Amino acid sequence: MSAPNTTPNTTPATTTPARPRPPGFGLAGWAVLLPAAIYFLLPLIMTVTFSLWEGHGQYGFAAYRALLGRPELPTSLLLSLELAVATAAALLFLLLPAMIFMNLYAPRLRPAFEFIATLPFVVPAIALVAGLSALFTGPDWLIGSPFYLVIPYFFLALPYAYRALDVGLMALDLATLTEAAQSLGAGMGQVIRLVVLPNLRAALVGSLLLTLAVVIGEFTFANVLLFRTFAVFINQVGQHEATEAAALSVVSFLITWGAMLGVLLVGRGSAPVAGAR
Amino acid sequence: MAPRGENLIRARVRAPVAWLFIGAFFAVAAAFMVAPTAMLAVQSIYGDDGFTFAFIASLGDYRYRVAFENSLILSIASATVGMIAGGLIAHAVLRPGAPTWLRSAVTSFSAVAANFAGVPLAFAFIATLGSLGLLTTMLKNLGIDLYAAGFSLYSIPGLTLVYSYFQIPLMIIIITPAIQALRPAWREAADNLGASPGQYWRMVGLPVLAPSLLAGWILLFGSAFSAYATAYALTSGNIGLVTTEISNVLSGNVMEEPGTGAALSVGMIVVMVGVLLISTRLGRRAARWTPRR
Amino acid sequence: MTFDRRDLLKTGLGLAGAGLASASGLRGALAADGPALPASLIAAAKKEGQINVIGLPPDWANWGATITRFQALYGVKLDSANPDASSAEELQAIRSLKSQQRAPDVVDVGPSFALIGAKDKLLQPYKVATWKDIPDDVKSADGLWYGDYFGVESFAVNVGVAKTVPQTWADLKKPAYKGMIALNGNPLGASAAFGAVFAAALANGGSYDNIEPGVEFFGELAKLGNLNPSVATPASLIAGQTPVVINWDYLSLGYKKQAEGKADIQVLVPTGATPYGNFYCQGISAYAPHPANAKLWMEYVYSDEGQLAFLGGFAHPIRFNAMVAAGKIPDAVLKTLPPADAYKGVKFATQDQAAKAQKVVADMWPRVVKI
Repeated sequence: MSAPNTTPNTTPATTTPARPRPPGFGLAGWAVLLPAAIYFLLPLIMTVTFSLWEGHGQYGFAAYRALLGRPELPTSLLLSLELAVATAAALLFLLLPAMIFMNLYAPRLRPAFEFIATLPFVVPAIALVAGLSALFTGPDWLIGSPFYLVIPYFFLALPYAYRALDVGLMALDLATLTEAAQSLGAGMGQVIRLVVLPNLRAALVGSLLLTLAVVIGEFTFANVLLFRTFAVFINQVGQHEATEAAALSVVSFLITWGAMLGVLLVGRGSAPVAGAR
Repeated sequence: MAPRGENLIRARVRAPVAWLFIGAFFAVAAAFMVAPTAMLAVQSIYGDDGFTFAFIASLGDYRYRVAFENSLILSIASATVGMIAGGLIAHAVLRPGAPTWLRSAVTSFSAVAANFAGVPLAFAFIATLGSLGLLTTMLKNLGIDLYAAGFSLYSIPGLTLVYSYFQIPLMIIIITPAIQALRPAWREAADNLGASPGQYWRMVGLPVLAPSLLAGWILLFGSAFSAYATAYALTSGNIGLVTTEISNVLSGNVMEEPGTGAALSVGMIVVMVGVLLISTRLGRRAARWTPRR
Repeated sequence: MTFDRRDLLKTGLGLAGAGLASASGLRGALAADGPALPASLIAAAKKEGQINVIGLPPDWANWGATITRFQALYGVKLDSANPDASSAEELQAIRSLKSQQRAPDVVDVGPSFALIGAKDKLLQPYKVATWKDIPDDVKSADGLWYGDYFGVESFAVNVGVAKTVPQTWADLKKPAYKGMIALNGNPLGASAAFGAVFAAALANGGSYDNIEPGVEFFGELAKLGNLNPSVATPASLIAGQTPVVINWDYLSLGYKKQAEGKADIQVLVPTGATPYGNFYCQGISAYAPHPANAKLWMEYVYSDEGQLAFLGGFAHPIRFNAMVAAGKIPDAVLKTLPPADAYKGVKFATQDQAAKAQKVVADMWPRVVKI
């Protein structure tokens, strides 16, 4: 919705006339983005350069060929992606409703939520996995399946997902929206589906991106419980190979970026800001 | 300050389904997070010969004191740098005049970069700015000797520089919805009243953003505080951090001391809870400008 | 365990050449059907059909070749989990997975962890046929764990970047090596790094009871700016970011082989000092889901063939002395190892000495080594 960009129709009693305000990107924007671009791209360029090095001044794709010949690459990647989707689903169906209801009906529970949302940061993964393994030793179909990882992953992604969703929920006037919808006859499910979720788009996409990033990058749990996820594979190659490890960094970067772009495009539809109209 | 209409909601409140969800969430959290954490607490005070404070006391050792100091300093520094830089970049990219492809590129790149931490990131930075790095050598040929001038990648400032690689993108992702929620009408109103951009930000923009900025800062602090692989790859733990010390005693090849590891973990929890408490207090003040509360 | 100079020289060891060790040197010494092991054990293992190992990187002491050969010989499926598992993680896997089908059957851990495993009842006893060849100070009397191979601390040098190769510990202090010298981890977390400190101690007036000179040595390296704190990996050695790495000899030689065609890596055991060595131990999990396979695996690893395989990975098998005495090691293989002189007088620290040294390092290192 475009703001009236022409001169305002109030007589300029103040000293300044209406400024011409096409809010262009301008110098200030580039002053911030250019150094940032250099900072972020330089290490990547180094990694790509090293991955192409074949020794004695020669450059080529030998490392990539060797890498793509490894069968664990697609299998581990597939497992990680499946785990990411499963974790995102768990967060969507367990965390988000709990947060919405907490914001609406039980704001006094906020500190408890905050505590749980920050706990995964402070309990080191290596200690948590030891505690989990000691407490839960069965049933075999659960503990033996890689999807057992969804449980700890739910909690590892929790801090990020919680913050992202919390920022989004804070931007909404949740009580008013809910009350308005309910006064029009909507049930709670409809309220969430038709009113809250569409307004949370940006936050949902953000939390999904972060969850995806956390799960694909998680290493400790998968490693200790001996599941072969993508991060475990990356670590293995990194410990023993030289140029292949760099090639794998580049490949995993590109794959993850593709997945993220996919999520973004699916979630596209600019975030309608509540009340902006 | 009760928002109007709260009574209307309250009337329908005891919807059991709401409590079902909240209850389920807490139950799962209790079983899979709180219980193992409680086990850690127990492990930190129970040794081979029974109840003992020795592990907690060992946290006062020089080695672990330095580790906690370093971890705190590094986390605060990288969280602050990430918050400021991330906020600026997010703002620059979300401005109405910015091209939309830029927005998608930056957001998706941020999601990936937020996860690039670990050995690949450390190696990339060592290859660039390490003592034998490419950039270091190039600058030396131009007459600028970074390491002679006192710069070192293997220091807390160096680590902060590397940590920013995943802290800044994290902030960008977190703050984006909040920046998008800043209503253009406010900016226009401020302009019409003759406010300069600086005044707008100081009196309108930043106060409104404050809770989200704080939330982002906490997340960045926690992310840095619990990070381990990057710092370890860069310094082998020569700059002691709590996480590298824990990995030495719990998952190393030289010694195994579960009691000390548990005590260090409990120390980490205490620090995080402290940070949370401080930020809750700050958050209450910052949320003055949020309409609902 | 001491090496008698006479034993080593008796077999006429040559100098380490630039030649590669490969199975070719060993093939002549291997029987076509593998070592002579009890048929009943092989049958029981075949019936179980699978064995789970953990913490065995393929390029570490030639485990890759051993794993392949074991599967080929006995037709069982071998699942190699988490090859880079630390000893602590291997014990943790036993604790976490106990008897699940995925749980490890055998572990390969450092001696201090073998002791913990025995104390925590994570291992079961088994004495292999060649038990008496294993020296007493590297095995537990009740058969819960026993050393399988050992190595000594060495320098791996990327000659293209470092230009000159340091020959002694004192050489490392030269200004030519500014920012070049790295370890493969934290001395309290990585056994090769801990060994490097001990080795430096032995070279600077310390002993197995006194590791302080070693810590001071690294403190001085840090002050001179020669110490590179980052973790040395094959990538950083070959790329030249950490051109001088102090690591186990079998790992250094493995990286040298890996770097062929890319970079010129030279490996040597520093002269002028007693070399510091350490060994790894095999043990069968008390909860092993495939016990017959676990026992068969042990028998294989400690057979002549299994022990020779270690030499293919430049690691010294634990039965080295006995096998040399019995003339079981081909000359071609011996030629690929560093000179015998380097291994003169290798002894291992006892676990008590190691534990005491760990405490000293824990306390001294952050005070003395400032990067």
